[in-house]
Amino acid sequence: MSLVLRRVLGALPVLLIVSLITFGMMRLIPGDPSSIIGGISATPEQLQQIRNDLGLDEPFTVQLLRWYGGLLHGNLGRSILMGQDVVAVTLQRLPVTLALSAYALVITLVLGLASGILAALRQNTWVDQAAMMVAMLGISLPNFFLGLLMIIFFAVKLGWLPTGGYIAFTDDPIGWLRTSTMPAISLALLQVGLLARITRSTMLEVLRQDYIRTARAKGLPHRLVVMKHALSNALIPITTVVGIIVSLLVSGSVVTETLFSIPGMGQLLTQAVLNRDYPMVQGGLFLVTAFLVLINIGVDVCYSLLDPRVRHE
Amino acid sequence: MARVRLTLIGLAAAFVGSTGLASAAAFKCPQVGGEFVFGQEANVNSLDQPASNTISTRNIAMNIFETLMTRDENNNPITDLAESYAESPDRLTYTFKLRQGVKFHNGKPMTSADVLASFDRYNKVGLERGMFKNVASWDAPDGSSFVIHMKQPQPTFIEQISSFSVPIVIVPAEFKDDPAMQLHVVGTGPWQLVEFTPGSQVKLKRYDGYAPNTKYEERTGFGGYKQACFDTVVFRIVTEPGARVAGLKTGELQGVEDLPTKSLEELKKDKNVTLVPLPNWWIQIALPSISAPPTDNLLVRKAIQAALDMDEIMDAATDGNYKLNVGFQYPNQPSYTDAGKETYNIKDPAKAKAYLAQAGYKGEPIVLLTNKDYTSMYNAALVMAEQLKAIGMKAELKVVDWPTSVNIMTKNEPGWNFFFTGYGTQPALGALATMQFFTPPNANYKPAEGKDDPDLIKAWDDMNNLPDPKDRQAAFVRMQTLILDKVYAIPFGSLTKVQGVRANVQGYKSFRIPRMSNVWFAK
Amino acid sequence: MSSAIDGGAAQLELDAEIPDTHVHPAWATLKRLFAHRLFLSGLGLFGIILLAAALAPWIAPVDPTRLAMRFKFRPPGAEFAFGTDNFGRSLWSRVIWGAQLSVIIGLSVVALNAVFGTLIGALAGYFKPLDNALMRVNDALMAFPAILLAIGITAVLGPSTLDAILALAIVYIPRTARIVRSSVIVLREMEYVQAAVAAGAGHWRILRRHILPNAMAPLIVQLSFLFAYAVLSEATLSFLGLGAVPPTPTWGNIMAEGRQYMIEAPWIITIPGIALMITVMGLNLLGDGLRDVLDPRLRIQQ
Repeated sequence: MSLVLRRVLGALPVLLIVSLITFGMMRLIPGDPSSIIGGISATPEQLQQIRNDLGLDEPFTVQLLRWYGGLLHGNLGRSILMGQDVVAVTLQRLPVTLALSAYALVITLVLGLASGILAALRQNTWVDQAAMMVAMLGISLPNFFLGLLMIIFFAVKLGWLPTGGYIAFTDDPIGWLRTSTMPAISLALLQVGLLARITRSTMLEVLRQDYIRTARAKGLPHRLVVMKHALSNALIPITTVVGIIVSLLVSGSVVTETLFSIPGMGQLLTQAVLNRDYPMVQGGLFLVTAFLVLINIGVDVCYSLLDPRVRHE
Repeated sequence: MARVRLTLIGLAAAFVGSTGLASAAAFKCPQVGGEFVFGQEANVNSLDQPASNTISTRNIAMNIFETLMTRDENNNPITDLAESYAESPDRLTYTFKLRQGVKFHNGKPMTSADVLASFDRYNKVGLERGMFKNVASWDAPDGSSFVIHMKQPQPTFIEQISSFSVPIVIVPAEFKDDPAMQLHVVGTGPWQLVEFTPGSQVKLKRYDGYAPNTKYEERTGFGGYKQACFDTVVFRIVTEPGARVAGLKTGELQGVEDLPTKSLEELKKDKNVTLVPLPNWWIQIALPSISAPPTDNLLVRKAIQAALDMDEIMDAATDGNYKLNVGFQYPNQPSYTDAGKETYNIKDPAKAKAYLAQAGYKGEPIVLLTNKDYTSMYNAALVMAEQLKAIGMKAELKVVDWPTSVNIMTKNEPGWNFFFTGYGTQPALGALATMQFFTPPNANYKPAEGKDDPDLIKAWDDMNNLPDPKDRQAAFVRMQTLILDKVYAIPFGSLTKVQGVRANVQGYKSFRIPRMSNVWFAK
Repeated sequence: MSSAIDGGAAQLELDAEIPDTHVHPAWATLKRLFAHRLFLSGLGLFGIILLAAALAPWIAPVDPTRLAMRFKFRPPGAEFAFGTDNFGRSLWSRVIWGAQLSVIIGLSVVALNAVFGTLIGALAGYFKPLDNALMRVNDALMAFPAILLAIGITAVLGPSTLDAILALAIVYIPRTARIVRSSVIVLREMEYVQAAVAAGAGHWRILRRHILPNAMAPLIVQLSFLFAYAVLSEATLSFLGLGAVPPTPTWGNIMAEGRQYMIEAPWIITIPGIALMITVMGLNLLGDGLRDVLDPRLRIQQ
């Protein structure tokens, strides 16, 4: 499909710039991995030795070209912090973040759409006010604050859920549910509010349309009218928002994973930046960004499939 | 006839007893079996010990690998894989006789060829290969001997090759060319690697072909007579302190590396948990820069030294888990000296202010460079700043993260007067390792290029080169006194780490690494 | 984290129709604003915080960084309105001074966005040749997960208040630029603009007199959401240990330090969290109100 091809090609310069920025950024950050490898008791001589071993004092362009060369071979280097290939680590960690994001996405879609539609249908009643109040709360409450409150209440006081850690779904589905629920809720919070508000306003716009009034005048059952006409039209703009939501989830996972000690991509990248794990940050950020770009292309494709106006561009 | 037989039996028994082969006194596991899960606080990124100086690597790798020589419970050098060693009278040749019957985890018997290859690799990637600066060459004249030839005498050589900070572990010769951080994890220790999941855990299992060191009857330090009583050991990485406490309480973790002070009160009351304090984990310390005003002025430094209340600082830094400690060694170590104790914990603001007046202090800022990654360093700096403000000094904090602060300090970028850190491994290794921090190049107190304190250098040379150990110790006493008198460092005190195990875990004694040998589950 | 901004942008793209070309007379607009329910409630909530921030030196005279170990972990009560933390520091002082810092940071990020976001967006929207290049770099910056970019920038620049401001501004200018660009692109094709071009008016004059004033409305709405976002993100950054240098208190780093004591001293986390919530909610309500009044096309049905 030419649309997909065009989007992918358009994404390439973006990825190039992204990789340049990441590389430059890491080199500009003061300090380097030698102090992490060397540990707290390392002498200055040991630190210098480590720097030499890792080639950290070589000129910027040399290191950059070496990295690009590796990239073309599919070799993104070796994480200093994790002691494994960057690609291998990413493949281990990314599914964790994705599973958590998927859980949060489900919560977002269900709660967000439901409350948005309900609020639109019951416009200006207490249902509407309540839903919008909760939505407002959702976008105003810092997600780490909600996370902390949930930990204090559900984990420490009530003991229903663990305070942190992660059990893979493949190991134990129930365990995964238990360790992922609080993080997913705190991740979803922001998005639920956002989706609810946008769904509501979109639905209201659509409901205003003449043809809805006509359909109602014809005497078709209310629910049928809503479902068939309003929803399908509202889906188009909502799809756009979903793309934004996914990248927000990945971004939000950074704090959530740190708070709940979940070994995902967000926590890994944060630790990598703070520990100056150059290969991990460069490779990991590049992979995550490429992934998000792909998601956005996917959203664009869905959008074009749904909206005939765009398809014939 | 019977008498002769009895005598023969008696002789045989005496013979057997003297080699310790069937010694009844050697340690035997009272119970065998089970899986011991240990909660470790820091991530481990590699088990290639020569290429790493991190505690997390050492914790695990020293249960897997062994060395020619190591340290006993009181830090004295002892033989481990070496049966014995001999130092030539001119101190230019060291001959090591290897123990017999030692096998690697892959079944291969250890020979001097493996020792040679291990030393060769260490010389290429080992972080402390600087200790070989006086080595001319080494060779393996036969399968069970390893000889090192020196260019000139290095009286501290044995102390250095028995060091445990970055030990010279013995691995099979075929791994000689493994790049740094990628060593094949095959050793001679009582535990062998089952699987290493970076970021998550490391699983070890008992090595059935292990040959314990029969010169000893018990575990001592990093060596001695070691026995693996558990079937498997899992080092699980649990970075959250709260999760470690929770794991220990529920029994999900049977041992934990570090417990936050907040939890100790309630854990003491828990009958299923035994607390194992590890005193003298590290010396909390602040290092001045004598090339940055106003700490370039000795009187200003003496003022600061006089103002500090070490109890208050250490209490905040360690939440109460500390011991006041004079100098750079601990009381249980043979090289301990309290020389310079009159400079420690003076807490006399009047005296401090007098020094300041004498120095002509005009309110120049004193910048304390610390970091948020190590709470003890941050808290110590916070309290020290308050104490300095109380005597009228303009103390400021510069808080960055650990790698940045190390960078600033090593490159001696401007803008700081005190660097906060902890001396962990070095004091445990001994006076020599610790005093090295104060020698050129890159001495900790940041003297100008080539302007190191000559008295300090003289004392350091004596510590290294005087043939009589008593004279070397006297040189250390001189060096410590000098450092404390001239305020080239401000040691605050020693921090106690508290570990914990489940009550049914026996034989676990706290040490610089969690030793998995000679530990068992009581029935 | 950037929900409000991205949500607003989505909203704008949904309604990419002809914006209202009338510029409301200022006083009429103000009258309508102050009659608007959402705007008023937002102003009330945010006003409390603003007032606290402004009056900090008088209502919180105790130095927020002053240690007093013997007073540690006092719960909120008569002696200490908000209690004390693990160093015996007054939480009341720390939260109030943290408010001042949050407001300053929010204002600075908004100001930087207003200036540079508009500049870049207008240039991209108006001058076609610049558009492609600018938008490529823009997309690249936007492709980064926002917080990772912020973490990276603060790590490069070093932790400090100024650097947190710069980092947050850099992360969000691309989004602001996009919004302005969308408006400018549509406005550029308007008949009266075409007429001005035909009449020979210079580019800058057109931008200044015809295009930018009409692009202002959506921008102002977005800037108020941006303020909320900036406060929230700064709290997240300082919670992660970046941003303003301790012991300077920010709501984020108070919560980060209080995290280890959350069982025995929950007030250390709860109080700054509530303050944060009030601020952000107030700003969001303000934004809603502004949107309803300033740009009817974006109005949520009343």
